[in-house]
Amino acid sequence: MSLTEVLPEVQSLSRLEKIRLIQFLAHELERDDGDLIEPGRTYPISSPDRAFTAAAALLQALEEDKGQS
Amino acid sequence: MSTAPQQFPYVARDPSLGNASLAPLLPLTLFGSHSIATSGLVDSGAAINVLPYALGVQLGFAWDQQTRVVELSGSLASVEARVVVLSAVVGSFPPVRLAFGWAQTDAVSVILGQVNFFLEFDICFFRARGLFEVRPKQ
Repeated sequence: MSLTEVLPEVQSLSRLEKIRLIQFLAHELERDDGDLIEPGRTYPISSPDRAFTAAAALLQALEEDKGQS
Repeated sequence: MSTAPQQFPYVARDPSLGNASLAPLLPLTLFGSHSIATSGLVDSGAAINVLPYALGVQLGFAWDQQTRVVELSGSLASVEARVVVLSAVVGSFPPVRLAFGWAQTDAVSVILGQVNFFLEFDICFFRARGLFEVRPKQ
């Protein structure tokens, strides 16, 4: 069933039913978002995010490499 | 060789997690004394490129001959790493020289970080569309 088909029926709902529908949709969206990250599961992050001294050493190595080629 | 932007898809790293595990894994070929086709995690949060130990060995590097020791950080903080510089080819782009912190562990993917992958390539992430775009620096 498409949104175009559903909309006329939604418009015929009472004000209270529309509010309940909004609450239902908000709950559905929240549940979809929650599925993205599962509690209890391990999500590894291996980024050497503060290895700035290493970064400087790599830049130095590249300069030396450039000098050799 | 082309320098026009090329698009690559996000790849699921854990099929059981599906959409939650999509990551920008870039296929590339690394050249040491041997060449290896692999893929690397394009990681803008990583200060440096990282090469796992076994891959470095397969490329022909000898651990004891690499004398420049560097310290990593994050979950790799306790892992020793040494500097290696090698050639890499991404897609149909011209080859580039990439420097890696060659980590003494295989519990890490190839990581393509700020130094110097992001110095060689401009990257645009389109995570909602499940793709990312790469092109050589202008």
